[in-house]
Order: sequence, then C-alpha cells, then structure tokens
Amino acid sequence: MKYVFNASPNYRDNVSTSRIMRDLTIGLLVVFIFGLVNQYMTYGMDNLIHSLILMIAALVTTLVTEGVWALVCKKPIGATLSHSYGWVTAIIFVLMLQSTATVYSVIVCSFLAILFGKLLFGGFGHNIFNPAAVARALVFASFASATAADVVSKATPVSTFANAGWVASSADSFNQFLTSFGGLFNFALGLYPGAIGETSFIVIALVGAVLAWRKVIDWRISLTYIVTLFVIATGLGIINGQPLTYGLYHVLTGGAIFGAVFMLTDPVTSPTSAAGRIFFAMGAAVLTLVIRVGASLPEGVLYSILLMNMVTPLIEKLFDGNQIDMKSKLVKYNAILAVCALVVMVVMSFMVTPAENVSYPTVVNLGASATNGDAIHVSAAGFSGEASPNAFDVVLDDETQTVVSVTFTTFNDTPGIGDQCNTPEFLDQFAGLGYDQIDDVEVISGATFTSNSVIDAVKQAIEGGNQ
Amino acid sequence: MFFVGPMRQHLDGHKSLSEHVQVKTVDTPSTVYIPLFTGGKDAIPCVNVGDHVYVGTKLGQKEVPFIVPVFSSVSGTVKAIEKHPHVGLKPVDHVVIENDGKYEEKAPLAPLSMDASDEALLERMKEAGIIGCGGAGFPAYVKYSAKGITDLIINAVECEPYLTADYNMLETTMDDFVAGVSLMYRLSHAQVAHVCIKESHPEMIEKLTKAFANVNGVEVHPVPDVYPMGWERVLIREVKHVEYNKLPAEVGCIVSNATTAIAFANAVLRGMPITQKMITVSGDAIDTPCNVIARVGTPFKDVIDTAGHIIGDEVMMCAGGPMMGRTQVSDQVCVVPETNGITLLKPRHDVEVACLRCGRCSDHCPSGLQPVRINTARKANDIDTLMKLEPMRCIECGLCTYVCPSKIAVTEGIRAAKRIVMLRGKK
Repeated sequence: MKYVFNASPNYRDNVSTSRIMRDLTIGLLVVFIFGLVNQYMTYGMDNLIHSLILMIAALVTTLVTEGVWALVCKKPIGATLSHSYGWVTAIIFVLMLQSTATVYSVIVCSFLAILFGKLLFGGFGHNIFNPAAVARALVFASFASATAADVVSKATPVSTFANAGWVASSADSFNQFLTSFGGLFNFALGLYPGAIGETSFIVIALVGAVLAWRKVIDWRISLTYIVTLFVIATGLGIINGQPLTYGLYHVLTGGAIFGAVFMLTDPVTSPTSAAGRIFFAMGAAVLTLVIRVGASLPEGVLYSILLMNMVTPLIEKLFDGNQIDMKSKLVKYNAILAVCALVVMVVMSFMVTPAENVSYPTVVNLGASATNGDAIHVSAAGFSGEASPNAFDVVLDDETQTVVSVTFTTFNDTPGIGDQCNTPEFLDQFAGLGYDQIDDVEVISGATFTSNSVIDAVKQAIEGGNQ
Repeated sequence: MFFVGPMRQHLDGHKSLSEHVQVKTVDTPSTVYIPLFTGGKDAIPCVNVGDHVYVGTKLGQKEVPFIVPVFSSVSGTVKAIEKHPHVGLKPVDHVVIENDGKYEEKAPLAPLSMDASDEALLERMKEAGIIGCGGAGFPAYVKYSAKGITDLIINAVECEPYLTADYNMLETTMDDFVAGVSLMYRLSHAQVAHVCIKESHPEMIEKLTKAFANVNGVEVHPVPDVYPMGWERVLIREVKHVEYNKLPAEVGCIVSNATTAIAFANAVLRGMPITQKMITVSGDAIDTPCNVIARVGTPFKDVIDTAGHIIGDEVMMCAGGPMMGRTQVSDQVCVVPETNGITLLKPRHDVEVACLRCGRCSDHCPSGLQPVRINTARKANDIDTLMKLEPMRCIECGLCTYVCPSKIAVTEGIRAAKRIVMLRGKK
C-alpha cells in the first residue's frame, strides 16, 4: 500500500476550464446558427455560404498559427492547442463580422490577432486585450472597405444610424427609422442586416442566461453593462427629445448584448474581483455611449471593450485588499463611477447635434412592398465601405421591373471624385434597364467604387421588388 | 451579494456513505502511542518509563502559550518516550504504553455537579484539557474567560465532506450534549445559545429541538449546507450578520464545537478527559465506510482495518476530512484527541492549465481574500502588493483550490505567500 502525499485540499470540483470552454463554444455555435439563418433570410444563400467560409478560414488560421507557435516553442502541439482555446477567439471574431468581409482580411487579421494579441503576451491567460476584439478592430481599421465580390451587401441599421450621429433629428424620424427595419421587436429578434452573430438580442440573451447558470460567464458583468448602457442612453435620449425606445435601441443593436455576454465576460482580460468587474462593466457602458454618440462610430462596443481591457490592471489594483474590510470602499468607488456616468451622459447630451435630413433605407425584403412610381430607398457601400454607404432613391416600373429613375439621397464618397457619378449623364443611363442589363452600364474610371455603389443599389431595389 | 462573492460553496458531502451505518469499535492494540504534543507545541512528560498508568492518568502537560494536559487512554506500563510519526506530519515525542487490556479507569478529577460554580467549571475545562476541535487546538477555557459575551454558538455543522462523526456523537450521546451545552451556556453568560446544524438534517433538527425544549435560552439554528459553514467566522456571519477582526469575543460571541460540549459534560460529570474518539472512516477508496470508536493512541492502521479494506494500491489518507485534513504518508500515525475522521481517497490526476483569471477563488474565499491576486503578486515578487492582500488571514480551508477550474493548487500558493510574509515579519 502506497500512501500518496498531496497538499490539502484533496477534494476538487468537477468543473474544469475545458468544460467551461466547451460550454462557451456550444453557446457561440447556437448564436452562429441563428446568424446563418439571418444571413439567409436577410441577404440570401450566397451570404450564408460566405459566412461559413469565413468561419472556416478563421478557425484554420487560428489553429495553424497556434500549432506553428507550439512547434517553434517546442511544446507538444495537441496539448497546447487544446489548452489554448484559440477556436473560441476565432468564432467570436467571425460572429462580429459582416458577411461581406473578404476571406483574406479574415485570415490576415486572425493571424495578427492571435500572434500579437495573444501568443506574444505568453498565450492563454496572459493576454491583455481580448484577441477577438483585436482581430475585429484590425478589420475595421485596415479592411473596412474591402467587400467580397459575390455576396450581397446592404446598409445595416447600425451603420446607417451611426452616420446620422446615433441621435435622430426628431422622435418621428427615429420611429420612422425603427419601422423601416421592422420595429423594435425585430431588433430584439435579430432578422435584419448586420454582423453575422450580433443581431439577435433574444438569442444571445438566452444563451447568456444558460451560460451564467452554468457559471461559464459572470452575470454581474453582463447585467451591469446592459443596465448602465440602457440608463445613460435613455437619459441622453430624453434630453435630446428622443422617444423612450431610444435607450432600448442602444441595448438591442450594435453588438451590445454580444459584447456583454461574450466579450466583456472574457475572464482573462477582465478584473478578477466582483467589485472590479462591476466597475469594469460600468466603465465599458459609459465608453460605448461616448464612442457611439461622440464619434458617430458603429463600433462603440468593440472599442469600449478594448479600452477597458487596457485599464483592467489598474482596476485590479484599485480593489486589491481584504474584500470584507474594504466593503464600503468597494461600494463607494462604484458609486463614484455611477455618478461620473450620469455626468458624462449629461455632457454628451449637450454635445450631440442630430444630423438633419438623413433618409433611412426601406428594407424592402422585410415585408414592405414597392409600388409603381414610389421611390425605393436603398443604400450601398461606396468608397468608405459599410461604415458610410451611399443612399439612393430608385423608382421602378412595376410591370416591367425596369428602372425609371435613380437619385442620390446621401452622398458619402470623396467629393471631386465620386461626384462624377452624381450627374444626369451617368444616372440617366439606368433608365429603362432591367436587372440583367444593369451590369452593362459603363463605370466611370476614377470613380469605380461610387459607380459600383449605384449599380449595387439599383440591383437591390429590383431584387427587393421581385420578392 | 453583488460587490463581494458568496464567500462559501455547497460541496457534495457524500455523508450518506457512513451516516447511518452501524458504529464499530476498534480493538485497541497491545501498544498505544500517546503524543506529547498538542496545539502545535510539545508537552512536558510527568511519567517515567516503567510507571504503571490507568485510563485517565495524566501523562504530561503543555505549558505555553496555554496549559493543556495529556492523558492516558489505556491502563498498562509506560515502555518508552520516543519519536513516532504524528498527524502533524513531523515526528514528535510519544508516550509508548503497553496495554494490559484491563482498561482500569482512575478519573484524574473529582466529578462535579451540574450547579458547580463558574470558577470550578472554568478550572475543570483547563484541567481536563478541553480544546477546540477545529484543529488549532485552542484551549476552550481561554475563550470562556472572556467578558461581555452575548451569544454562544454551538457548532454541530460538520461541513467537511464525508465526515459524520459529530452527527453520530449527537445520536449516541444526546444527554451529555444537552448537559454540556447547558453548562457552557451558563459559563459563558451569553443571552442566547445557538445550536447550529445543517438544514439538510431535518431529523436531527427535530431531535435537537425536542432535547432542548426544556432548556431556556438555547435555540436550534439550522444553517445552509455550504462549506466552510463550520468555521467560526462564517458561522457568526450567518447567525449574527457581523464581521470581526481577530477573535469572536470582539462581537460578543463564543463558538464551541458540539464534540467539545460532549467532552466538557464528560469532564464535569465523571471527571474524565477525552480517551476515546468517534472517527469516520470514509472516502471513495474504502469498501465499507463507517464510523468507529477508537482510543486515543491507536495507530491509523488498526482503525482502518476495523472499518474495512482499502481499494487500490495507492491512496490518499487524510487525517480529518478531505478539505483540511492533511494526507498522511504512514499508517502508523495515531489517533489524537482532535481526530474526527480518516478520509481515504483515490489519488487525483488533475492536469493543471494556465489560470484563466475567472475569479472563482476570490468569489468564494470565506476570509474575503483574493487568492488569484495573492499568487500573482507572489510570483512577481511584489511584496508591497502581497502585504496589502493580507495572506495571513487565510485559514487554508482549501475552497480556492476546490473551485479552481484550471486545477491549480491555489491554497498551496497562499501557504507559500504566508511564509514570505512571516519571514518578512521576522526581519
């Protein structure tokens, strides 16, 4: 009989990091499957297939990068890969992308994010920034206007509204905008153009609830973030004459719930103490609002997370000590931040200027039917890509499905270059053309992006009418 | 709670393995080894080789920092005073007694009546060597000397997994328990005595409520089935909703173990110290888990052989429960007055992975510490941060290691941090 020595305790919970990551992976895949359904219903089969290709590209790149890294470091490849959980990063990254992203941008950004965002810091558990967020930020910074050729591109409500400064000029204008995408309920449900895995509040919240119950994610972070964002967005909306649904819109779109459930809760890059996590989530909510409203960016959630990742070590230091003795301090610091959040909200409220005369696209394939002679509002990515598309009014002949007229309603491309398309000589070419003939229109050399944007828009209008 | 974690955790107790199994009695071997060691300090012997001793004869006494005597558990002849393996993992002096098998008793102290004076009771606590059964071996009389006590908390929680010895003691010696609690209640001058027991034992709650029906001021207080509910800080937090700095007396509380109450009743009414212990022998590496009664000084081997057979060739043998009990590397270590269980477990083969900073250890620490931060500071040799994180307040309950999903030996890291802080204190 051998009596084995072990330092107490000699009893362990069955929960393992691998089990946590397995649960998280399953949760992410549920969100991905819903995302595929949305891609199919909102855009079409091409986008669904392209989304799958992006996922495979990200997964393969991540695993190959980590595998090669293990080889270089002379570590066993199998064990390193299975305890590095790189696939979680890859899945989260793809879920944050538009299905129009190009495969090469996904490969390049996955590689850079895994190498510079994670492995160089010392691998899993040591990275400062959420690697998936790093990858998404790289795409946003370097490949924003790169769109895959064979997929349908549409203006997303998030980018459209971000262009308008995240604040509508009036309550009516805001309500009109909501209606054009199927109303608030559709935003909660998630059947609208947007990132592959970020659109459905309901699906992500349900997955999040299960993960919180399985103790995979810390519900305190998600809840604090969503509640704080809702409160300060509602407050800002009230001061700026927005309807009460304005706060809900902030929570329902732009990946807020995705960030709350899958990104902020990443334990590696968030503080470890309970009070620190609440501080972290509240800070992220404030930054989200500031970036959205102050900078008119659609990606407020993403950048707020990266910024808060950066201050995580400071938050840790702030809450170091005996949590029982410090209890009043823990509450006090968080209360101070809450007050700061309200102050920021008020200051932001007086800084925003709602954009005038922004027309919101009618998303025809969500049920609105086009009638003869009515202008169909569509938008299509131009030179600046998805972030700031051009918007058009297209009038069709209802019987023949040919173009009657095309006009710009919002021009977002380079003045002096793209303008060459905004002329009767160019736009009149479309009159009388059917779907198959559109591609024959001659693009203006030097203004290819803008030309293609017009072509895209007209095609969208006809496709929408056909459904 | 929102800003602090739950600071406790429900564990799978496996109590049913041994709870209602017939209690066995260990045949005391011909030689017993009584350690001259209690509460972390050596005791000075007061018998010589060749002396004849009886059950209850005083063998020696620890002098510092508090007086605690040591008694014989058998009758026979002192053969030697020599080093022998001890549950504290370090060999210490033991009185080796050849057991004559007669078990002649000679109570070292005269019996007292139930209405003995406070001074007499306090003196009895000291002379009979009544110590807390929490493992630190803190003598009970020191606690009861405190003034301004409002609440006496009797700990019948038994929060360590697998252990059911306290529960079985209550079943078999309920009269002594009631007498002991009544005496302690009177001695403490508390307003209320709370008898705390897990709410997962409804039948025992009923029995206790019936037993204490005629005792004024004593109430049965069911507590949640979580670990470490049996630690005095957690018990006081549960019962009184207050925190204290070092000692429970600061908030007017005394916490005593249920078995301490039983031992006290025995010392008062019969003048006898602890010579036998109810011991749970359980775990996933023994075929027939059960409770046994063994005399102090019996080697673990005899205790385990009485209970059943070990499964497998390798086993972790914990003196006590699996959370705080230390694994023994020799089955020759002997039963001491604090022994309440021997947990036999199959060796674990956990694969440690990188810390994912999930914060479970910080959420669950009953002392409100941040184990993950302590270990980070220790590895970085950041002494200032380490001091700020107060690792010395760790009681090594083991919950941080238990909850760690990355299978890191968190508690062991805190022990290392404590050594660093202690060394620094000596400079």
